[in-house]
Amino acid sequence: MQLGSAAAFLAIVVVAVLIVISQSQTEGGDTNLEDVGLVNHELRGIPQEGLALGRAAPVKLVEFGDLQCPSCRAVAEDAMPGLIDSRVRNGSARLEFRNFVIIGDESTPAGAAAIAAGMQGHGWNFIELFYRNQGTENSGYVTDEFLTSLAKSAGVPDIARWNRDRRSNDAIAQVERSTEEADGLGFDGTPSFAVESPGTKGLEPLGFLSSTGDLEAAVDKAR
Amino acid sequence: MEAALKQLRAPAEATLQRASAFGAAFGIGIATYIALSAAAGDAPACIDGSHGCLTVAESSYSHLLGINVAVFGIAGYAVLLVVAMMRGDAARLTGFALGLIGFGFSVYLTYLELFAIDAICQWCVASAIVMTVVFAINTTRMMRYVGTET
Repeated sequence: MQLGSAAAFLAIVVVAVLIVISQSQTEGGDTNLEDVGLVNHELRGIPQEGLALGRAAPVKLVEFGDLQCPSCRAVAEDAMPGLIDSRVRNGSARLEFRNFVIIGDESTPAGAAAIAAGMQGHGWNFIELFYRNQGTENSGYVTDEFLTSLAKSAGVPDIARWNRDRRSNDAIAQVERSTEEADGLGFDGTPSFAVESPGTKGLEPLGFLSSTGDLEAAVDKAR
Repeated sequence: MEAALKQLRAPAEATLQRASAFGAAFGIGIATYIALSAAAGDAPACIDGSHGCLTVAESSYSHLLGINVAVFGIAGYAVLLVVAMMRGDAARLTGFALGLIGFGFSVYLTYLELFAIDAICQWCVASAIVMTVVFAINTTRMMRYVGTET
């Protein structure tokens, strides 16, 4: 029985080591994120390039959004899934996200983190997960831990590279450029949409669209 | 009657070995399905069509040192299968220790599903149940037969 006790002790030590390793891997991540499976399922199989979702298509629909914006969250939850299923998955349109910072300072690191996730092909997973796990605007919830947790759940494979990319001047500059672009298009709220197709002269502002039907109609009209 | 009860309390070692081997083989099947699904970039299909299996498969806890946890499961069950077919105290003690490791880690993973990941993967639960049964069998084998002749 002494041998049995020794075996039990050894086994318990091994389990403890495994648990410590498992926990150390997820340090810095809030694991109680909402809708991780739902988002990853919604986007599964759709190619991503930067913050563009879907393969090259005649129609490009651009969302100028602020990741902290509750209206953007509502559109992401209620309207986007239908549009992605009906127009993006089949290649009729390509969706693109561009940061339009209007809520506050925390939106900039959030947007840069999305850009960095996009560099590894998981930008839309990050964006959709961010929307679904938003906190109160500018309440300090956009922490490194929160962003890291989102990136891991979004499937970003190289977190160290993502950390470097999101903190780079280039990512921050991209957020600022797209915000200026949205201002230039005359937008004053988020989410605002613009469309580009062979029939338009560059990006054509559409404004606020909030339903799948409205978004589909915009895509169909541009074709 | 008393003899029958004794029989129930202490099944023949060969019976325990067969039961453990069967459980381990069953466990290999479950863990292999989970690992193959992950290797294909997918997740095991939850029987009720829920997203629980996908959520668990895509959580950061699904990998240990970069290796899918299911692969560790396959290895553990494989060794349990081998020791179930072997005789002697070394096999009895190894089966018990591995069963305890598998059981302990299964409890931890189930805790994560319930309280950290907030999703249940039916395949993982099935594996945890199988591991619990295999652990119970190997514990019985160790307690009853260590120190006895093979």
